[in-house]
Amino acid sequence: MSKRILLCDDEAHILRAAEFKFKRAGYEVCCAADGQEGWELILRQRPDIVVTDCQMPRMNGLQLAQRIKNDPATAGLPVIMLSAKGFELSMTEIREKFGIRALLAKPFSPRELLQRVEATLAGEAQPVASYV
Amino acid sequence: MAFLAVACTTLGVAWVVEPFFAPTTWPARLGLVLGGTALLLGTIRLGLSQSTKAGASAQRYIDRLCELDSLGLQDDNSLDIVPVRKEDVQWRELAHKIRRRLAEFAAQADEVEMARAGVEVRIRRISAERDQLSEIVAGLSDPVLAIDPFGEIVLANPSAERLLDIRTTAESHPIFDQLQQCEELVNLLAETRRRKAPIQKSSELNLADSDGNERWYRVTCRTLTNPQESGGANDRNAAHGAVAVLSDISGTRAIQKRNAEFVSAVSHEMKTPLSSIRAYVELLVDGEADDEATRGEFLGVINDQTDRLQRLIDNLLSLARIEAGVVAVNKVPQSLNERLAETVRVLEPTAEQKDIRLTTDFSQLYLGVLADRDLLLQGAINLVSNALKYTHRGGSVTVRSKLNDQEVIFEVQDSGVGLSPEDCQRVFEKFYRVSKDRDMAQGTGLGLPLVKHIVEDVHGGRIEVDSELGRGSTFRVILPGLAQLSA
Repeated sequence: MSKRILLCDDEAHILRAAEFKFKRAGYEVCCAADGQEGWELILRQRPDIVVTDCQMPRMNGLQLAQRIKNDPATAGLPVIMLSAKGFELSMTEIREKFGIRALLAKPFSPRELLQRVEATLAGEAQPVASYV
Repeated sequence: MAFLAVACTTLGVAWVVEPFFAPTTWPARLGLVLGGTALLLGTIRLGLSQSTKAGASAQRYIDRLCELDSLGLQDDNSLDIVPVRKEDVQWRELAHKIRRRLAEFAAQADEVEMARAGVEVRIRRISAERDQLSEIVAGLSDPVLAIDPFGEIVLANPSAERLLDIRTTAESHPIFDQLQQCEELVNLLAETRRRKAPIQKSSELNLADSDGNERWYRVTCRTLTNPQESGGANDRNAAHGAVAVLSDISGTRAIQKRNAEFVSAVSHEMKTPLSSIRAYVELLVDGEADDEATRGEFLGVINDQTDRLQRLIDNLLSLARIEAGVVAVNKVPQSLNERLAETVRVLEPTAEQKDIRLTTDFSQLYLGVLADRDLLLQGAINLVSNALKYTHRGGSVTVRSKLNDQEVIFEVQDSGVGLSPEDCQRVFEKFYRVSKDRDMAQGTGLGLPLVKHIVEDVHGGRIEVDSELGRGSTFRVILPGLAQLSA
């Protein structure tokens, strides 16, 4: 059975590129334009993994990750975050407080993102501190 | 002595010769004694008269010396009006000696007087310099304070007194270590003072001013060594005095923070199109796009995003250039209506493409403004093209101009998506984009900040926005009219 992935980004082109890559890799893909929509899709579609942008309207990536972590129904759902900005938080905080498994800096490589997603799903520990 | 000798001799002779002459009679003896006495008295009289003459001569020379003023001392002949007699020579020589000594004393007194006058002039000059320095230090807007080796604040200009809430007078010197509100400053100065060799240290720290506002200061501390006290071996271990100069760098700090935020915002804005370009290029390179249509789609995205990046950079550059005053502003009196008509001509094709009715409602009056032609045109184009961007197909955009009490106004009214009150506040911020409208049009978040800068900073006008969500927005630019400018 193919894995289901939720992609969350307010930039339609980014969403489309990632969707294309994952579909070709055999994933079942659902897309959301912001954190709120993403949360609703998580509850409805029950994805196996979430890839989200950080800066989004309504609910940003960190808020979404925290909600996933704090809700017993979704806790444990792996989250990978894309961001064009550095964080004021430490990597430990990002991992422990928000339960984020990996961070990828924008501009990102769809190939690398796919590798990260596959590794995360395979249960491998991810190098969180992959960028500033 | 001479008189005594004569008298003794006379009496002695009288006594010796007495038996030979045999003046055995008492009258003869008495006569002889009387004769001797008379001879003795005569001799004494003669001696006294000699002595009186010498005394009078000495008195004349002394009187003469007393009459001499310091100038007369220089004149060798000044004593010679007293007739020179043999017996006066010794007095004359004595007087000359005294006169020479007096002349030397007088010359020395003159030298001392000159030195004293010189010292007095220097004291006055130093005192004036000190007053001037005190005045300069007092007038400095930067707080300055100095502490002596005992840790007492011996100097604090009014700025420092205000900042540290202290008062220094000639009688009372607050103890520096007891300043409660600035531990960091105390530590820094204490460290400067403890050093054996004089040093200069600086540090940035924040202090609350008298109104309780936190401000950043750059503090430069320097050891103060007293040259009179240094030199002894023991002094090398003693604490020195120190001086601290504080400069308020809150403004610089705020600019640094704004710059950092700006750079962060710019890089974020650049990374967004770059992300798309990189992702699609990689998909193409990896051969993920099988068919021509997909490849065409991907190349289209790359093309659009490259344009977006280019536009962003262009806008950034023009904003930076206008803000920095690099763009030459050439203000000439001109007709606002003409510029607005030009704007409408430029944008009519865009409006037609989107099926938006672009109408004009210009004042019949000549609306003269003192403006830079290109910048005014760019401002108007930005406003009208924004209105076209955020108005749905079939909507309308009106460009209006009017005169209101010497102020010249132009408005761009649209029937577009409108702005929330919060968005109205923030829409002129750099890189602020209304999130719900992002998909409607591509924008850099720099168009409206640029208009605001052109209107307010370059032309001394102001810009306002009225808007209602779902009903449309009106951007209003108010410029000083020519009549107002000449008044």
